[in-house]
Amino acid sequence: MSPGRTSVVASLEEAVARIPDGATVGLGGAVTAGHPMALVRALARRGVRDLTVVGPVAGIEVDLLIAAGCVARVVGSYVGVESAGAVGPVFRRAAQDGTVEVVDLDEAHVVAGLRAAGQGLPFLPWRGGVGTAYPELNPALVEFDDPVRGEPLLAVPALELDHALIYSEVADAVGNAQPVGTGHMDALLGAAAKHVVLQADRIVSTDEIRRAPEKTLYWRDTTVVRAPFGTHPYSNGWMTADMEHLRAFVKAGREGGAALEAYMSQYVAGAGDHDAYLEAVGIRRIASLLI
Amino acid sequence: MSDVTTNELFAILLARDLRPEDRTIMVGANMPMARAAAVLANLTTHPDARILIGLGVHGLGDGGDPPGVYPFVFDPRSLVGEALMWQGRVFDDMSRPDVFFVGGLQMDRRGNINLFGIRDGEGGWRMRGPGSLALATMSTSCRGYYIVMPSHDPRTFVERVDLISALGDRAERERLGLPGGGIRLILSPLGVFGVDEDGEVRVRSLHEGVSAGDVRAATGWPIEVGDDVPVTAAPTADELRTLRERVDVHGTLA
Repeated sequence: MSPGRTSVVASLEEAVARIPDGATVGLGGAVTAGHPMALVRALARRGVRDLTVVGPVAGIEVDLLIAAGCVARVVGSYVGVESAGAVGPVFRRAAQDGTVEVVDLDEAHVVAGLRAAGQGLPFLPWRGGVGTAYPELNPALVEFDDPVRGEPLLAVPALELDHALIYSEVADAVGNAQPVGTGHMDALLGAAAKHVVLQADRIVSTDEIRRAPEKTLYWRDTTVVRAPFGTHPYSNGWMTADMEHLRAFVKAGREGGAALEAYMSQYVAGAGDHDAYLEAVGIRRIASLLI
Repeated sequence: MSDVTTNELFAILLARDLRPEDRTIMVGANMPMARAAAVLANLTTHPDARILIGLGVHGLGDGGDPPGVYPFVFDPRSLVGEALMWQGRVFDDMSRPDVFFVGGLQMDRRGNINLFGIRDGEGGWRMRGPGSLALATMSTSCRGYYIVMPSHDPRTFVERVDLISALGDRAERERLGLPGGGIRLILSPLGVFGVDEDGEVRVRSLHEGVSAGDVRAATGWPIEVGDDVPVTAAPTADELRTLRERVDVHGTLA
C-alpha cells in the first residue's frame, strides 16, 4: 500500500521563516497582476534584512519591502504602478538616496537570466540592449562577439534565486499550481529558485488538479500557503486591481515620513496577519473587486 | 477639434500611420493611447492583425469583442481574446512583433530614448525612472516603433539623453547591425516628428494652434522648423466616433 503523499502546506509565517537575511528572492506577477502580496507583507512583518529582490515587472511589492527596511538591492525591468504612478514612490526615493542599489535589466534579460539559472548555464546571450546604457548601468551584462556569426551580443548572467514567491489562484497540498489565465514569468522564476513558496486563493484536491493537467506548473521544492484575496491590491484571475488603494499607497509613498509610516502601520506591521489585513481593507471593498 | 484630447489625437495619429503589412501590434504597460490605437486599427484598417494588449492577444477582424481600454489593463478583464500573453514566452518569437510603442523621460535629437532616469554624476540617481521594461529588446527587433512623448519641453527633448534605453540613432543601429526597422514616428503634444536620412529628428507637422516658435522654444537643441511645415491633419468625425463609441468606451483618454 502507498504510504501516501506529504503535504507541503504551511502558514504564511512558517513559509517566510525559511527566508534568511541576505537571501535572493524572486517575486512573481507582472505590472498590476498576480503579485504574491500576502507573502510579501508577511516577509515585511518578519523584518528580514539585506534582501536582493528580483521583480521582473514589479509593483508596490518592492516599495513595501523597501519601506520595511528589508531590501539592499532591486533587480528587474520596472518598478511602477501603471496609470496610478509612473514610478514606485518608495523605490524612487531609495534609489535617489542611495539606500537601495538598482540593477537594471531589460524584461527579456530577466527571462534569459532566469532561464540560464534553470538550465544550469552561466549565461545566455541576448541581442536587445546592445548599443544601450545597460552594460554601463549593470556591469554584469558583458558585451561579447558571438563565436558563430561574430555579431555583438550581451551575455546575461544566470539569475539564481534562493526563493521564489509565486502566486497561483489554485494549488493543491503537494505543490501543483494551476494559475487562471496567464502565469506571467512565474514558471521561470520557480525554475531559477532553490525553493518556491506558492501562495494560492484555493487549495483543492489533487484529483481536481488531475482534471486539467495541461494547466499545471510544478517545481522540485515547494511550500504552499493559502491566502484568500491575497494578491490585493493587485488583481488575479477572479479579482480586479484595487485602484483606489493603489492610488492611496502612491500618495503615502510619495509623501513618505508619517504618511508612509501610517500606511505601513495600518496595512503591514499593524495588521498582524493576513486576516487582519483583509479586515483593514474591508469586506465591502474586497467584494467590489470580484468579477 | 478643440474638444479632442491629446491622448485621443495620439491614438488616431498612431492608428493612421500603421502600415498595411503590420500583422502583430504589441502594446506595453501604461500606454492607453497606444492600446486605443491598436484596437482602433484592428476594428477598421487592420482586420487581419493580432493585437497584444495587457494579458490578452486579440484579433477583432471577425467581429470579436474589443477589449476595454481600461486604465489598468493587467487584470482579469484582459484575460480574454484568442490567446494569452505569458511574459516568459513572449520573447521566444522575435520575428513576430511588427510594431511596438515607446515612451520616455527624455528623447534626444537622434531619437534615443531614456526611461532609466537621470544620473547624479556620482554613480547614483538624481531622478530615478521606473526602469526600461522591454524597450531595448523591442526597439532592437520590431519592424518599426512609435515614440509617444507625453510632454515636450527642454527637459524632455534634449540634445543628448543621459542614458539610452532604446537606441534610435540610425548610424549606430547600422554599425551594430540591429535587425529592426527603427523609429517610424515621434508624437508630442506639439507636433509629429520623424527621423530624416541623416538620423536627425525633424518636424513633420505641427498640431493645430502650435507655432514654429513654440517648438523651437520647447526643444533642447536648435531644431529646424520651416515656415512651410503643415498642420497635423485633424481627426475626422468618423475616426473620433469609432474611437469614443467602440474603443475608449470608459473614457480613459478623455
